[in-house]
Amino acid sequence: MSETTVVTQQVINGLSLGGMYALLALGFTLVYGIIELINFAHFNVFMIGSFIGMWVLQAFGLSGQSVLLTGLPLAGALVAALIVSMFGSGMLGVAIERYTLRPLRGKTGSAGGTVGMITTIGVSYILFNVILLGFGADTKNFPDPLPIIQFKVEGANLDLRVILIWLVSIVLMVGLWLFVQKSKLGKAMRAVAQDAEAARMMGVDVDRAVIMAFFWGSALAGAAGLIFGLYYNFTSFLIGYTAGLRAFTAAVLGGIGNIPGAMLGGLIIGLIEALGGQFIAVKWTDVIIFAILVFILVLKPTGLLGTMAPSKS
Amino acid sequence: MLTRRNAGKLIAGAAASTTLLGAGLGSARAAGEKEIKIGITLPLTGADAEGANRIKYGALLAIQQANDSNAIPGYKLVPVILNNATSTAGQYDPAQAATNARKLVADPAAMAAIGPEMSGDGKAMSPIYSEAGFATITPASTNPDITNPKFGSEFDPSGKAVYFRTVTTDAYQGPAMANFYSDVLKVGSVYVLDDSGAYGVGIADTFEARAKEKGMKVLGRDRLDPMQADYTVSLTKIKALNPEGLYYGGVMGAGSKLVKQSYGILPQKMPKGGGDGLLAPEMLTSVGFPAAEGWYCTIASPHLTENPAVQPFVKLYESTWHTQPDDYAITAYDAGLVIVNAISSLVKAGKPINRQSVRDAIQASHTNTLQGEVAFDQYGDVVNRTVSIFQVTKNTNYPLTDIIHQFKYVGSAPTS
Repeated sequence: MSETTVVTQQVINGLSLGGMYALLALGFTLVYGIIELINFAHFNVFMIGSFIGMWVLQAFGLSGQSVLLTGLPLAGALVAALIVSMFGSGMLGVAIERYTLRPLRGKTGSAGGTVGMITTIGVSYILFNVILLGFGADTKNFPDPLPIIQFKVEGANLDLRVILIWLVSIVLMVGLWLFVQKSKLGKAMRAVAQDAEAARMMGVDVDRAVIMAFFWGSALAGAAGLIFGLYYNFTSFLIGYTAGLRAFTAAVLGGIGNIPGAMLGGLIIGLIEALGGQFIAVKWTDVIIFAILVFILVLKPTGLLGTMAPSKS
Repeated sequence: MLTRRNAGKLIAGAAASTTLLGAGLGSARAAGEKEIKIGITLPLTGADAEGANRIKYGALLAIQQANDSNAIPGYKLVPVILNNATSTAGQYDPAQAATNARKLVADPAAMAAIGPEMSGDGKAMSPIYSEAGFATITPASTNPDITNPKFGSEFDPSGKAVYFRTVTTDAYQGPAMANFYSDVLKVGSVYVLDDSGAYGVGIADTFEARAKEKGMKVLGRDRLDPMQADYTVSLTKIKALNPEGLYYGGVMGAGSKLVKQSYGILPQKMPKGGGDGLLAPEMLTSVGFPAAEGWYCTIASPHLTENPAVQPFVKLYESTWHTQPDDYAITAYDAGLVIVNAISSLVKAGKPINRQSVRDAIQASHTNTLQGEVAFDQYGDVVNRTVSIFQVTKNTNYPLTDIIHQFKYVGSAPTS
């Protein structure tokens, strides 16, 4: 492999990693943007979303590496899996909000802050352990129905899947952005983000806006989970834990609450992981990523593109 | 009438009477029989649960047979099963293992133990056992440091061996594979990976050292994080260096993802292998074919499950536990046999049964087991140092998740 080929391949690897982190960071940053809550449960909702996707695909008869469906039935199965995982994860998020966070809002006036964050850590562990105890700790073989189509770029392999991840991430990001900016519910969410009390006084249904934020944030986590499974052909109870740490870092790096920030942060983290691994060593990846994070936050605490969080008056 | 106040009393009363009743019924011992507790310490939940449970069944079978055949007259062996895994770790947890060791040591009826499986646990448990003079026999832990006199102050402060093994160590397992790569596969250059665990780093180190001695070029050494999902960065780097072979020291946490992802990136013909961490059900269930095909692995014991002389044991194991034994289930059973014979020899000689005498008896023992005669050297290591090599080979005559038949026995590893 020539030097250019290696670097190109690692850049492609970095882009695919980055796409994954960006997708995961989107829903996380959405919730923070609306109610200033760091929702650690998001990453295990992602993990559950991938399990749901796996079960749906297995129900269609797809299992392991044998492609049993092609063409329209395949597309149908994938769309069904996407809808079910998004809906399932979305409802899980709504349940989390309704039963663990809204009571806090009633008692402390806000669902955000330290208490809310700690509650989501607890919920996160509950989800993690339910899957571990219920379904075992081994990595599960995720159905692999997508054909392997590779393009050659400067001698490096560019898998169709990498393109798909980015396509889906961008579509979701744009869709989310439009929804938040243009739709009535999006306007309500932005109003709640700015000032929940004032929004309530203006007649905005604050509860509904928060529920919607959780639903869509968690649905995005579910979509990310399905895509993770299709890309890596495995899932396990652990995937939320580590992907979560990097995606969280990506969100903070880009500016927490900032939707394009999540995409940019994901991209950067992915590229650091790939190029740092190639030119330094893979075992130093975490050190490098977090060193860069600390460096950037010291210079610009609101992240690269600035945070978009509820302003305090 | 059931009110909140008297409900509490009723429940307490019910609990107390059930306990008394249970205590009376539960210990269905022959009158006058004394109890000897044997610990079984394994990571029974989490990432390594399946293999750990097979080992547990092997150990339990030895204890059950001893009780049924009254091998130790006047005594009943009672297994104490302790889980070395925790949910936070998702796998074996050395801190939990240490707690379990202390639990056994604190129980006056416990005389010996079978386990642990993982060397990370072994490193935590050995010093605790050593201070109590409490013997354990591990059927699967292969990190050599634990019985190495150089680290005696760390793992065996009392100076008397307590960590016995019915498997050999990675001091032999890693080099055995290096011998195989060099002599049989004619690999000239190799890249080495580990999974950052005690076992993985140890076996990768011994493999690397022997590889260099045999004249193989070691093009690099890197570490995989078992919690990470994506190893394509490492694999791309390895592909660029173009080694003739790949060696992975570690367990399936990182191994399953490595094997799966290397299928798309590294050439299929490149010899790839690892230690006994790769001979696991996950290789077939999570990874499966075609990715797993061709991977080599070793075990630190002779290969016995296909041995005709061992078939009666295999059938008994299968009918009792409804699953197949693997080679480490056999070493666990053998560990049980050693303990049973040691204690029975004490009883027959009229000697007292305490931890010191049991330890001494195990140290001096020569026991006929399924793997042949088992005896230990002064540090607790088994004297017979056989390493067996397997290769994942698709066998369509059996289910593709059959761990006994999808790993083809290649042979005993060359010893030099």
